Amino acid sequence: MNNVVKTFFTWASITLAFYPGPVFSSKMVEIPAGPFVMGNDSDRYAPPQHSMYLENYWIDIYEVTNEEFAIQFPEHPFWKGAAPHPVTDISWQEAQSYCLKMSKRLPTEAEWEKAARGEDARLYPWGNKPLRKKAHPFHSGLIKRRIGLNKKDVSPYNVRDMASSVWEWTTSEVEGKKITRGGLWNFHLEYEFSKTFDRNLVASSNRLPFIGFRCAR
Amino acid sequence: MRTLEKFTRRLFLQRGFWATTLIFWSWFRGSTHAKELHTYEGTDFIGKTREGEYKNFYINFWKPMRRINGKTWQLKITGLCDAPQSFTLEHFKSFTSTTQSSRMKCVECWSARAQWSGFSIHELEQIVRPQPNAKGILFHCADEYKEYLSRTALNQDRVILAHSMNGKPLTDAHGFPLRLIAPSKYGYKNPKAILEMEYVSEHQAGTWSKIGPYSPDGTILPGTDHPLEFGKEPRRISGGEITDY
Repeated sequence: MNNVVKTFFTWASITLAFYPGPVFSSKMVEIPAGPFVMGNDSDRYAPPQHSMYLENYWIDIYEVTNEEFAIQFPEHPFWKGAAPHPVTDISWQEAQSYCLKMSKRLPTEAEWEKAARGEDARLYPWGNKPLRKKAHPFHSGLIKRRIGLNKKDVSPYNVRDMASSVWEWTTSEVEGKKITRGGLWNFHLEYEFSKTFDRNLVASSNRLPFIGFRCAR
Repeated sequence: MRTLEKFTRRLFLQRGFWATTLIFWSWFRGSTHAKELHTYEGTDFIGKTREGEYKNFYINFWKPMRRINGKTWQLKITGLCDAPQSFTLEHFKSFTSTTQSSRMKCVECWSARAQWSGFSIHELEQIVRPQPNAKGILFHCADEYKEYLSRTALNQDRVILAHSMNGKPLTDAHGFPLRLIAPSKYGYKNPKAILEMEYVSEHQAGTWSKIGPYSPDGTILPGTDHPLEFGKEPRRISGGEITDY
């Protein structure tokens, strides 16, 4: 009997270890109407700190994956193992087109920030301290991972991967460039978690390996 | 007393004249001899340096290398193309030339801007005709450095094979006679002193990507830059080509 139990648990462990996991990124969560604290005065690149009221809206829990994107845009290339990775190398227009095909849209900067930050003005989606001293092993490029793999990168509204994955397109813009939110900062092979108010401005036509997106409604 | 006065005035004027002359002479000499030497100055070799004129544009090489003789140099195009052949510097004069200002961003953190002149890969590919299965080019350099870039990356706008820098032919330190300029990639994806371009069917790791913590893709990521001409004062960059300064 013991052998049967052992065999079962061994089989279950191996199956779970290699199971790629379902792709959940089309699942959305409702962010309730109400005020939240946006921006930060200590970061000259972020909007000044202020209170903002938003009506309720829905936002994807996960970033859109390569696999999902390729269903709508079959010419999108990716290697087989990258199916559950966040889709990247897509322009702002392509991201918006995908959202529209799904009867959604890209989030505004404010919607993105509230979903990541909650109502208590936290610095990171999970709280006020970085998860680790080093957000990323020493490497000059991003190491993309399956969406939702980091179990601790969860916002107060249960939105995932908002500080330790790729940057994400929003509909907002400054100085003619689109505002992207929430990726990793590279400091000479050392990576830092993006804070909930961090902005990165990028031309909308750029296709870059560190920019993906999620949709809102 | 009057004689003494005359003599003193003359002496004063004479000494004043010579002192002024000496000041001008030393100022003139100073400006022409202030150039600091670097390690490879006056030798037949070139290698990594940050000295002398290169304080404002650092020089990296994989290994010190012997300077290339432009009269005998040939660029070999090999691998998966229908018309593999060699080109001399003279050949490139007939190519459509393009000039652009772009910033070289090193993965070591520094960056520097220059004006580069050269031609697009498309010019070369019209002649050598890469085969459909040629996915990228492996660059073989004189310092034994190797780097790979996909044909997709090489055919992007603003990616050129440069033969001139700031209006003059490339110096040995900056990769004479030919180097790649890919402004959205870190410096290690901009091979220089190119000897051979080999069309290959599969991605290959370059020298640094094979042994160091450098991504094979090499796209500049969001972070901080320390531009040399601005005293390394840190500036935030959004990733991709640096166009803000």
